[in-house]
Amino acid sequence: MSYLMVAYGFAAVALAGYLVWSLRHLRQLKSKREG
Amino acid sequence: MSRLELAAAGAVALMLAAAGAIFLYAPTDALQGPVQRIFYFHAAAGLAAFGCFAVVLVGGFVYLWRESDAADRLARAGALVGVVFTTVTLVMGMMWAKPIWGAYWTWDARLTSTLVLLMIYAGYLLVRRLAEPGRQAARFAAVVGIFGFIDVPITYFSVTWWRTQHPSSIVVSDALPPEMLATFLFTMACTLVLAAVMIAVRYRIETLTDLAQSAHEPARIISSREPEPAR
Repeated sequence: MSYLMVAYGFAAVALAGYLVWSLRHLRQLKSKREG
Repeated sequence: MSRLELAAAGAVALMLAAAGAIFLYAPTDALQGPVQRIFYFHAAAGLAAFGCFAVVLVGGFVYLWRESDAADRLARAGALVGVVFTTVTLVMGMMWAKPIWGAYWTWDARLTSTLVLLMIYAGYLLVRRLAEPGRQAARFAAVVGIFGFIDVPITYFSVTWWRTQHPSSIVVSDALPPEMLATFLFTMACTLVLAAVMIAVRYRIETLTDLAQSAHEPARIISSREPEPAR
């Protein structure tokens, strides 16, 4: 059971982390361009 | 909220629905127990990575054919998202292998070819990061992306071409019960949507980065000029 949790925990952290980081990076670039 | 942020929220909602199907709908495997549930996203993430690398292949061909900057940006976006999905596939596979095979890793054809795939596209990204942006780097990267894709069919067919510890595709061989097959296909569809949204976000980032670079380019040229001699 712990292997299952670690596997899905890693997937969730990696993908959600990447997505959030990308969206924040995109916002920064947009605000830099507008500002 | 921008359109891309809305699309990302939609993709996350779909992934939560997929998690619901994996943990609440799909039956527990009689032989392996709950750990078999790793299969659904492990396989879906692997196939999504192949899709991302196919985007790099197409982007590379279109760039070499038409010198389209948009195709180059698409290839860059596909490579980064593909590397993320390949990493997830490998780590999830290791977590599944330990309780079933007794080891996290074995130098089996499927695992090794997947690791090589990760290294090829990580190398591609490294080339893009280290090389001076421009036609030469884009051309070189397009060639790496096209030749790197050769490893995708090798990875996919490795379980049939060689005798491997990794099992062959149970979806193709029709060995899954209907509930498990439905869960896998739903997870696969949701994962492909997530990958597409991630590529779209990254593509936008690459576009804005390119625009910022081209805006700085004339300034750099002007500043590097020799000062005008005094008359």
